[in-house]
Amino acid sequence: MLEELSLHILDIGMNSLAAGATVLSIEVLESARRNWLIIRVRDNGRGMDAATLRRVLEQRRSSTKSKRRKGIGLGLALLRQTAEMCGGRFHIRSAPGQGTTVVASMRLNHVDRPPLGNLDDTVLALCAANPDVEIRLRYRTDSTTFQFSSKEREHHEPRTTQTSQREGTAAGCVA
Amino acid sequence: MNLEQLKRLKEKAQQQVALREGHKKYRVVVSMGTSGIAAGAREVMKTMLDEIEKRGLADVEVRVTGEIGLEDVEPVVRIERADGEQTTYAKLDPEKARRIVAEHLVKGTPVENLVVGKEKKP
Ligand SMILES: Nc1ncnc2c1ncn2[C@@H]1O[C@H](COP(=O)(O)OP(=O)(O)O)[C@@H](O)[C@H]1O
Ligand SMILES: [Mg+2]
Repeated sequence: MLEELSLHILDIGMNSLAAGATVLSIEVLESARRNWLIIRVRDNGRGMDAATLRRVLEQRRSSTKSKRRKGIGLGLALLRQTAEMCGGRFHIRSAPGQGTTVVASMRLNHVDRPPLGNLDDTVLALCAANPDVEIRLRYRTDSTTFQFSSKEREHHEPRTTQTSQREGTAAGCVA
Repeated sequence: MNLEQLKRLKEKAQQQVALREGHKKYRVVVSMGTSGIAAGAREVMKTMLDEIEKRGLADVEVRVTGEIGLEDVEPVVRIERADGEQTTYAKLDPEKARRIVAEHLVKGTPVENLVVGKEKKP
């Protein structure tokens, strides 16, 4: 069990880097209005074939360290367990050459839901894992959106902004 | 997260890239597989980055890698010196990480009681 959702995101993102991704997109939607927290991690890495995907999806709750077989990890199983425990669902879409998308949803107000935690440090760690990869982060709530890209240059500055879709909460925050 | 934090994050991310340029005396490699993450490797990494920045150590770079086969003694950090000497530290926490920066990276003296492996690569 990982203590923060941002630690799960780091772990899932490390899979993407291991799969040779050059772009890694992390999306977090936190909607109090709809009572959902949704995490989506998408990469353009080598993807998984059907057999690997099946093996990964079969690796369910029973995963414990002692049962851990060589070559079958725990990371995706742990996130799946967390999502399902918190009233949500877990999906992986992946195919060879097509990249991989991992989606985990959770009820925002579920008592067992881990806190989101420190997304900054997660992005930092992913940048330190491979500075050549473009790491994108998009964090949305009912009222605001944050976007970040590790490859964005100064003249693209306006895209690294906090924009307000509903209330005027971002006043003065747009660079 | 606010815009200030995002800006700092971007600067940090850009520093990560800038760090690759030039020859570094030390490379700090933090093991960041699932077991490392569960044991606190991200905080160890952040502590080392902050400490290195605070002390202005220009010839140290910090890298993150997947499992390195020491799952039972995470968090694990390997320090690689430009001449090929590699020192592996295990069971770290932020406090120990700060000691490693102060002793090993600043003074060049490994923190022997935290070392679990040492080798010389050509
Ligand atoms: N983004 C990805 N792209 C390609 N393959 C992946 C990806 N994520 C996971 N996999 C495959 O699924 C396996 C299981 O992943 P995971 O549960 O995180 O455990 P581990 O990373 O320890 O192997 C990986 O070893 C890899 O073969
Ligand atoms: Mg993994």
